[in-house]
Amino acid sequence: MVATAFSSLVPMETEEAQIARGLRRRDPDLLDALIEQYQHRLLRYLLHLTGNRATAEDLFQETWLRVLEKGHLYDGRNRFVTWLMSIGHNVAIDHLRKRSPSSLDEMKDPEDGAPFEPEASDPSPFEVASARQQHELFDAALSQVPPLFREVLVLRFQEQMKLEEIAKLIRIPVSTVKTRIYRGVMALRPALRGGTQ
Amino acid sequence: MTNHEHERAIDIITQGGVEDIETADAAWLQSHLAICSECAEYASLVQSTGELLRSVAVTASPALVATAQARVHARAEQLREHQTRAVLIAVSFCIGVLSSTVSAWLWWRFGGWLAGRLSLPGSIVEPGIFVAWLLPAIVIAVAMLASSRPVLDRSVTLAVLGEREGGRQ
Repeated sequence: MVATAFSSLVPMETEEAQIARGLRRRDPDLLDALIEQYQHRLLRYLLHLTGNRATAEDLFQETWLRVLEKGHLYDGRNRFVTWLMSIGHNVAIDHLRKRSPSSLDEMKDPEDGAPFEPEASDPSPFEVASARQQHELFDAALSQVPPLFREVLVLRFQEQMKLEEIAKLIRIPVSTVKTRIYRGVMALRPALRGGTQ
Repeated sequence: MTNHEHERAIDIITQGGVEDIETADAAWLQSHLAICSECAEYASLVQSTGELLRSVAVTASPALVATAQARVHARAEQLREHQTRAVLIAVSFCIGVLSSTVSAWLWWRFGGWLAGRLSLPGSIVEPGIFVAWLLPAIVIAVAMLASSRPVLDRSVTLAVLGEREGGRQ
């Protein structure tokens, strides 16, 4: 009864607050759980950002190391996934600065023909062929989109992030996010129209 | 149709799917899309883009996850060791400062006591004893500053370190 009364007075700690507390302590169990939970989303984002599976996997590991090192900076007020993606974004930018290419597209290995993998669940030959076709369509369409626009498209449509979240993550105004989404979608138009015909 | 109307339509279309759209705005958009082919095409492209981007699943391999977890654990251990070492250095520094202050004060007092015993002026003996106490450190510091080469030869340093290592074993 005392516990019930107490819990009604003290607000329940949010998941974000728990994560923030665990990151301040550099709790390895929490980090293991976070890596498990966000593995696909983070890798997907980095893969679309870099266009190269090997680079994305390297950056994936670097991102988690940075989460460990900078964990005390996460205050738990925003969604953890947004903060995680912003760390991933910064890691990718740092990687680019080291390599100093003129654009993100230069990171894409032209011989890396299949950077995107379908889920492994014993698919039928038809599903495999269909997935491959979708794959090629997706890859071709997305490779035509400039990286700046590709990033917001992925965050918006794949990660289902709000415009404010994307703006905070990339540190640009919301109006710029909207413009980039518009331009990204319009850049995909030839490929989409070609694919649907 | 004004540019403002197109901008409003694009704005609402962009917000759709993730953000909540007010009923009035949704109704207005439907009526606008019915008469504006450009905005209707944009809405269709947004939908196709979303479907396309969500259609392909990207999965991290178990090996990648395991490697990331192992690296995070190793780095966490490393950071913990650094933190422990930093605390030890800070504590050692504090103890050093404290003991230096106490011993300086004791030497000063000793100078006063000696001056009393020998009937000498305390204003000379006290600083004299204090300077004598500091003299070795001052001489070494001056020698290090004056010398262009390290005071301790590399071989001497290595020998000292070797002795320490040997002492530990």
